[in-house]
Amino acid sequence: MKVLVVYCHPSPTSFTAAARDRALAGLRAGGHEVRLDDLYAEGFVPELSAWERTNHLAPPDTKPYIGPYAANLCWCEVLVLVYPTWWAGQPGMLKGWIDRVWVAGVAYELPDGANRIRPMLPNIRRIVAITSHGSTKLVNALEGEGGKRIVTRSLRVLCNKLTRTTWIALYNIDRSSLAEREAFLAKVERKMRELK
Amino acid sequence: MQVVVVVAHPNSDSFGHALAERAVSAAARAGHEVHLLDLYALGVSAAMTAEEHHAYHGDTPILDPVIAAHAALVRAADTLVFVYPTWWSTVPAILKGWLERTMAPGVAFVFDANGKVRPGLTNIRCIVGISTYGSPRAYVKLVNDNGRRTLTRALRLNTGLRTRRSWLGLYAIDTATAAQRAAFLDRVDRKMGSL
Repeated sequence: MKVLVVYCHPSPTSFTAAARDRALAGLRAGGHEVRLDDLYAEGFVPELSAWERTNHLAPPDTKPYIGPYAANLCWCEVLVLVYPTWWAGQPGMLKGWIDRVWVAGVAYELPDGANRIRPMLPNIRRIVAITSHGSTKLVNALEGEGGKRIVTRSLRVLCNKLTRTTWIALYNIDRSSLAEREAFLAKVERKMRELK
Repeated sequence: MQVVVVVAHPNSDSFGHALAERAVSAAARAGHEVHLLDLYALGVSAAMTAEEHHAYHGDTPILDPVIAAHAALVRAADTLVFVYPTWWSTVPAILKGWLERTMAPGVAFVFDANGKVRPGLTNIRCIVGISTYGSPRAYVKLVNDNGRRTLTRALRLNTGLRTRRSWLGLYAIDTATAAQRAAFLDRVDRKMGSL
């Protein structure tokens, strides 16, 4: 399958970077066609500009900066997000990729006079999130699991009606053992290799 | 009281800025000391840098002097007010990044001897959210209001137990009438005037 991996972490020596490498290894072993968007390495600018806000319904060809990112999003069948969960959600950098790339003409259309947007990414059949949490699953539940809901609801409704979501998360990472982290990485690689 | 108003909207002539200005003027009129942090105007970066991430668990987790000044205001504040448009069910990237970079260890929380997170924002008595939504209220409830959850739950967990939360939302803004917008501004005025 065509798989787009969007990776977001500022540090190349992070656990998230290791998770990305294992995800890529698994995907390649599974024979998938893979593209990678590494937001930090590519110097992605996460702040939606005043012009973009004013012209948020303008066609995407008026926003050349997002062109390659939008093309990848419209190309893939599986979207894999690899990021650390900070303050219960996606890092600002990854949120910026959503704010700026999932725009009208790419992810949705808003017909005149309507309040509800119409999805435009039927090509995406699965969204996978690979993430780590500093806090426990209980604390995340108390916090409302915003990051998870953004993936499984806000983004998912713009994809295929039958889109499935896969949540692969390591909780309480700050107090996890080396064996637990290694087991998580092995799970990431296996899940990506077995992706259907 | 010390009130910090954080506004995240790229357009200085936006309804979001009108809301922030109204919030500031109402709070000032009520005798509070108000600080307005306009994240776009200040050129705040939404992306935590590798250097900041490296410093996060050290003695000086905040490297940017602008962010350090904001952190000092947060430490001295009684009320935090967030004004933003909800995009994809949560806060704009610039506000998310500001939270990550400002609400660092030693500001919003501390790690205890066991590495557990303990609240650091015990000075905060009230968190107020003021947001506009493209979607109708029922749809926002359906997909979940994750920005609201981030501020009234995740951030709230790091304040004292008695911290109050207030939420003011204008839904389906694309089809809201001028009267509805004016009424919402008045609501913000009343709320901020009676903190």
